[in-house]
Amino acid sequence: MRRNAWRVLRPLLSRLGQAGLVALLVGCIGFALMHALPGDQAFRLAAERYGPDMVDARAAAAMRAELGLDRPLAVQLLEWLGRVLRLDLGRSLVTGEPVIEELRVQIGYTALLAGTALPLSALIGLPLGIVAGLWRGRWPDHAVLGLSVLLRAVPAYALGLALMVLLSVRLRWLPPGGFEGWAELVLPSLTLALGLAAVSSRVARESVAAVAASPVLVFARWKGLSERDAVRRHGLRNAAIPVLAVLGLQLIGLVEGILIVETLFGWPGIGHALVHAIFARDVPLVQGSALIMGLGVVLLNAAVDFACLLIDPRRGRQEA
Amino acid sequence: MSGHVQLRGLTVRAADGTPLVENLSLAARPGTPLVLLGETGSGKSLVLQAIMGALPPRLRRTGEVVLDGQPLPEGRARRGLWGRRIALLPQEPWLALDPTMRALAQVAEVCRLVRGMPPPASRAEAERLLRDLGLEGVARLYPFQLSGGMAQRLALAVLRAADAPLLLADEPTKGLDAERRDEAALRLRDEAGRGRTVIAVTHDIGVARILGGHLAVMLEGQVVEQGPAERLLARPAQDYTRRLVAAEPAQWPMPSAAPRRPAGEAVVAARRLGKRFQGRAVLEDVDIAVGRGETVAVLGPSGCGKTTLGDLLLGLLRPSQGEVRRLAGLAPWRFQKLYQDPPSAFAPHQSMREALRHLGRRHGLAPAVFGGLLDRLRLPPALLDRRPAELSGGELQRFALLRALALDPVFLFADEPTSRLDPITQREVALLLRELVTERDLGLLLVTHDAALARRMADRVFTIEAARLSPAGCAG
Repeated sequence: MRRNAWRVLRPLLSRLGQAGLVALLVGCIGFALMHALPGDQAFRLAAERYGPDMVDARAAAAMRAELGLDRPLAVQLLEWLGRVLRLDLGRSLVTGEPVIEELRVQIGYTALLAGTALPLSALIGLPLGIVAGLWRGRWPDHAVLGLSVLLRAVPAYALGLALMVLLSVRLRWLPPGGFEGWAELVLPSLTLALGLAAVSSRVARESVAAVAASPVLVFARWKGLSERDAVRRHGLRNAAIPVLAVLGLQLIGLVEGILIVETLFGWPGIGHALVHAIFARDVPLVQGSALIMGLGVVLLNAAVDFACLLIDPRRGRQEA
Repeated sequence: MSGHVQLRGLTVRAADGTPLVENLSLAARPGTPLVLLGETGSGKSLVLQAIMGALPPRLRRTGEVVLDGQPLPEGRARRGLWGRRIALLPQEPWLALDPTMRALAQVAEVCRLVRGMPPPASRAEAERLLRDLGLEGVARLYPFQLSGGMAQRLALAVLRAADAPLLLADEPTKGLDAERRDEAALRLRDEAGRGRTVIAVTHDIGVARILGGHLAVMLEGQVVEQGPAERLLARPAQDYTRRLVAAEPAQWPMPSAAPRRPAGEAVVAARRLGKRFQGRAVLEDVDIAVGRGETVAVLGPSGCGKTTLGDLLLGLLRPSQGEVRRLAGLAPWRFQKLYQDPPSAFAPHQSMREALRHLGRRHGLAPAVFGGLLDRLRLPPALLDRRPAELSGGELQRFALLRALALDPVFLFADEPTSRLDPITQREVALLLRELVTERDLGLLLVTHDAALARRMADRVFTIEAARLSPAGCAG
């Protein structure tokens, strides 16, 4: 029993360590990159706060003094790290509001978008993959392969634009951006979901093909189980293992996609906020939103790990 | 219990019309196992698949399979009999059991879904079935936590759950070591003893001997001889059957009784050798030496550390304690290994010619070296242009031997070199290896689970038990 508990605890603990490392790296790299950008941070901030026409050297100097931007960089970084340890992400340099308050609303929107896109990608990718796997070598397999290569080869912004042109501009079925109701959720989540489904359908296809030809399924039939019982009891779970494992990798792609798709569709989420903060040189907001996204990936990966442990008893168990 | 089976003129043809099984007429009844004995490619497994109605899609069957006076229905209707009337014990059951389901559940689901018992009764019945086969301790384990023998018993428990009168077994002992093999064969005989009709397919004469019953020897899709197993194995009438029986290691000639030259200087020697894996001692305090022109055999069941010992002597593994001395002043490739599974010891996309050319270039060998060895190992040069998948196991193992001998080894570690070969081929390869030891003055370490084979191959035989090496007794 204790060994079994350890089987679950060990990966969770290692994920926890990873989360700490992610926080440290994301904070430092974000900070370094922001300061590597050309242009004067104080000017950009003043422009953001008072409007581009109101900025002169005096306003910038006042800004610099107010925010302590003239202190050595190392001090500014250490100050941020010290605050993160106290679970304080600091204040936005533009609005002066706490970063956490700024992000709170946006996290919800991003979660809504990702939470719609993931199930949608499963809804699109898995049935296509299963059909291709069961009909391998025949026309449905080739059609799904072609579709998946096409979707994978087109970058998210191009795919998003194409959908926007087709569904909003030409057909006028859906609004092209913003967020007023559910209709605006369709295009960005579909763009994300198609990119994810391009990969998950391939993994599902390989997995289903392997299980369909495996002696496990053959024996299930020989035992006398009906085709439905054989597939339900011995096919699905075995086929789901690799699909689920790859989901963990896909989450990284999801974060990338969120940055692009939110910006493209003007979706008021955390990716959109990050891009905006970069233009404004709002360093604490950049660090804060990158940190939240990084931790989100670690958290979701931990959830995927846990799900893998649940469906695959071989994980973490020694052979007797 | 019913279960009378008749095969009437059963023929299986490939898509191009080549007969793979030709005009087979056999009968099997409850209580007496029917055993089909033959080499790989003799069509014996196709017979079982034809009875199941599970032939690969491009093969065509003619002739009839009759069960209890009724010709078996075709297609979908045949599937309705699976589990209920006809059960097939799969080859290598550890691959056929669901790795994500506990042992008990795999048995209980048959009681519930095939026999329609309510869930609590299914569990109770499954527990009883596991107990009958001595598996009560593993009910909550997964298949990957079971040994090969236990997985085999579990697969049998699964089939017993549906209680079909006809039990087919396809190479029921494949992948098991000698002891487990005999157990598995005895268990199948038991199934027949319980009134089931058992039809088993094997290439192992030892298994056929244990199963007894009615024996049919198959060659190239035809039955060359059939009759009661005991009589047929004692007094085979056909030439092919005679060669098959003679191929059993126990029937091989013993090495010449006159003491051979005393073994030369030791090519490898180990003192107080020990190896641990993750804290578990696999070998402890082993002293062993292999001299020139000598064969030393190490016997033991799967997982006892035989292969580990060979790999330590070769320097492929680092010992946890003790030391290994190899003959000084020689390149490491003068100490060679012959692997158990020939196909996995070759790159699948390379022809033999290419593989040997690479070897020759790497070691600066003259092509004549290979020419001489091809002759000696009786490998026709035409085989050089084939890839591993196009060669038989015996041919491939002889190429592996050629590859090792080309480097002029002083020591060869042969890890179960013939256990995946058909009996007649096994005898050829093993006796060839025996000749080469003397001829090339080579030290051979032979690892095997077959005591009779070890006796006939080796000058000295050891066993490994509880991580210790000791001289073997005189049995076998």
